[in-house]
Amino acid sequence: MSVFLQQLINGLSIGSIYALMAVGYSLVYSILNFSNFAHGGVIMLGAYFGLYALNLLSLPFMGALVVAAFAAGLVAVGLEKIAYSPLRKRNAPSLYFIISAMGASIFLENFVVATIGPTFKTYPEIFSTTPITFGAISVSRIDILMFVIAGISLAILVFIIEKTKVGLAIRACSYSARGSNLMGVNVNRIIFVIFLLGGMLAGVAGMLFGMKYTVYPQIGVITNKSFIAAVFGGLGSLPGAVVGSILLGLIETISAGYIASQYRDLIAFSLLIIVLVVKPSGLMGKITEDKA
Amino acid sequence: MFSWFYIEGILILVGINVMIVLGLSLLTGFTGLFSFGHAGFMAIGAYVAVTCTMQLNVPFYLAVLIGGIAAMIASLFIGYFTLNLKGDYFCIATLGFGEAIRLILDNMTIVGGARGLPGIPLDTTLVNVIVIDIIGIMAMAYLIKSRHGRNMIAIREEELASQAIGINVFRYKMESLAISALYAGIGGALWAHYVGFIQPLMFQLTKSTEMTIMVIFGGLGSITGSVVGAFILTFLPELLRELANWRLVFYGAAVIAIMIARPQGMLGGIEITDMFRWIKRTVTGENRRAKAAAEAEKEAKTELPGEGGGES
Amino acid sequence: MTDVLKLEQVTKRFGGLTAVGDVTFTIKEGEIFGLIGPNGAGKTTIFNLITAVYTLTEGKISFYGEQIAEADPYGAGFVNGIKRRFAWKPLKPFQIAEKGITRTFQNIRLFKKLTTFENVLTACHRSANYSLFESILPRRIPIMNYVLPWSKTLWREETELRAKTEELLKLMGLWDYRDMVAANLPYGLQRKLEIARALALDPKLLLLDEPAAGMNPEETLALMDLIRKIRDDFGLTVLIIEHHMDLIMGLCDKIFVLNFGKALAEGTPAQVQNNPKVVEAYLGSAEEETEDGEETGEGDAADA
Repeated sequence: MSVFLQQLINGLSIGSIYALMAVGYSLVYSILNFSNFAHGGVIMLGAYFGLYALNLLSLPFMGALVVAAFAAGLVAVGLEKIAYSPLRKRNAPSLYFIISAMGASIFLENFVVATIGPTFKTYPEIFSTTPITFGAISVSRIDILMFVIAGISLAILVFIIEKTKVGLAIRACSYSARGSNLMGVNVNRIIFVIFLLGGMLAGVAGMLFGMKYTVYPQIGVITNKSFIAAVFGGLGSLPGAVVGSILLGLIETISAGYIASQYRDLIAFSLLIIVLVVKPSGLMGKITEDKA
Repeated sequence: MFSWFYIEGILILVGINVMIVLGLSLLTGFTGLFSFGHAGFMAIGAYVAVTCTMQLNVPFYLAVLIGGIAAMIASLFIGYFTLNLKGDYFCIATLGFGEAIRLILDNMTIVGGARGLPGIPLDTTLVNVIVIDIIGIMAMAYLIKSRHGRNMIAIREEELASQAIGINVFRYKMESLAISALYAGIGGALWAHYVGFIQPLMFQLTKSTEMTIMVIFGGLGSITGSVVGAFILTFLPELLRELANWRLVFYGAAVIAIMIARPQGMLGGIEITDMFRWIKRTVTGENRRAKAAAEAEKEAKTELPGEGGGES
Repeated sequence: MTDVLKLEQVTKRFGGLTAVGDVTFTIKEGEIFGLIGPNGAGKTTIFNLITAVYTLTEGKISFYGEQIAEADPYGAGFVNGIKRRFAWKPLKPFQIAEKGITRTFQNIRLFKKLTTFENVLTACHRSANYSLFESILPRRIPIMNYVLPWSKTLWREETELRAKTEELLKLMGLWDYRDMVAANLPYGLQRKLEIARALALDPKLLLLDEPAAGMNPEETLALMDLIRKIRDDFGLTVLIIEHHMDLIMGLCDKIFVLNFGKALAEGTPAQVQNNPKVVEAYLGSAEEETEDGEETGEGDAADA
């Protein structure tokens, strides 16, 4: 039983990181109907930014987190301006966006390989590694921290979306970008905001990920799992992204614990396919009927 | 430095890549579907073919074909579940499948698991590759010119309108995926018998994206473009050995630039036959006359008030 | 006369919005049937329902007596969603096209990068039968026709398709533009090309969505003649959405007026023109009409 609870907590912890990643991805999809495959690259950069903020700038933990978040957010915005905005202006077919995103992700990953180098880097120990024990369960401090930070970040995001004027504009755009435009919403600014928000979440997620594991340029590929989580939960639905991510985290750790760790990804992926076959728009995704 | 042996090696590699890129071209360039998982089909083709030659003593050409067919069958399975999904969902699903195939192979110790499979007979020769390539290119060219090819192009252009003219979109997407998997499998099989050693790590996401980049460079919707793209992008890395680390950085940036500035790549939509025809027409002066006629047409083209617009 | 198309209590709801509510009408063979109404009334939605782009919320649609669209029998809910996914197999749009109903689109959906010839040639695909395997085989070289047994069939079928395309293009007056890329065609010809493409499937019912949009009165008259000619030569029935009142009144045998998704009036052009409800909601009276007879903006409940 205690092993199960242990796994549960592990799963929640990793799931919460996936949630941060998946939400940023789903946010962009909900408004632009486009999958930002370069999101993984932004997450990866977040990990590096956090690392350098800690090491080079000798910032305290929270400071480094903030730096990582903002830096990643800026990268995301820059990405949008360079790689997606020109296509958007020309109403390019969605295939072009996917290809451009792919190009961006390759660029980011290999830029880091070429400049910083492919070696794994580790975060310095900020928090003691002694786990906290509740009875028979021991949880590492980092896991708790990640869960808390993820929770707070998501709460802030929800606050922004539900309670602020900008959030209202975002919600309006997700229903109809053209309609919102006609109602006076500056759609370009909204796009800027969602990429910034998504990027910031990615930065936080990247740093947390780097702290839990290690930092290397291919993090972007690993985070493809967050895409799977977002699709699982239903693209375009933020609650769906969170639910999908938590579920994915849980499924991963439980199957790793009880079945075999090699099959972890396979099981998660099979579940994705089953969900998509039964419900093609994911668990909570929005269904769009093609208008003729 | 540039001994014949060295150049022959690169040419074989070019030929192998041409096969894979052709298949991918059909799927992405002509049918408009983006796949992240083609390395998975290469892997299936490679492993099955290798099993045939090493364990079952099947002759080389047959083994390669069987490898390709195995990949094709896998694609039918995958396509059945994923081609109904909307664009982005389909992409993620192919990503997942590509990774899943690699993971399954990682765990199949019969074929070496993650360590890989060494000692594959080096049966791929330049002659083999050229023969297979020629057959592959010809078949693809005929396919594109047939009603099946036209339907796939229609799907790429306007999926809804294709449905309206009776095209069974699902079926033709399946056909496209199947053929592209066949080519990828054959390519993978050839590659295995050239390198002499395979392991699942060689068939990662990066491999899929490398192939896709070749298609994009060469130009979407052009067989000639895919061949040329494969040729150039296989040779280039060899010539620019020192800048190896920056190669992919450049590719990534180039892909973005291409999508923004010239989405049709080098030869998008243009085939070598078009080029011959253009040359012939320039020589006979036909081009000059046609251009003048088109200019006149454009002047006469009345500016009509906007389209139907709005809801009905 | 036979009933070609029958809509019975057809309703389409998108969440809380009723796009089409309880619409019933019948089209008889050989008729040119007009569907009119203000913007947003649900006309194109009806087209989409007939061609199975959308599924019906309620009601049914039959074509020559055969039911081609039925209402979604499963309600809301997760389990129902699963049942709907697996147990309900409504017809897909391409199957509707196979049965003999083809259409044009309000926003032209031509294959923009292909030439005029290729656009229609692609649409002829149903007249040929060769399989995928056969299509990758060589057939162009004349000698092959005698050497390889399948070659002759393939080449013959392809030639048939080309002949058919040529015939259709000549009929529509597009033959001179056959090599022009569709995106470069003048707007009016693009609309004609869409019609030609729709005809390539030998349909029995042709749905035209605002075919005269953006045309001047001269072109509109020519289009009217063309539609009548197509109806006579091909022996089909036509359902047409339009805002050009000249065309509708002059061309249609029967008209159905839609407003806010619901039926407003039905009858011959004369009946509809004089129907006070229609006049108030959509047409405007004679003094308020503009020169070319288009709907006025005055007092009509347009733009739902």
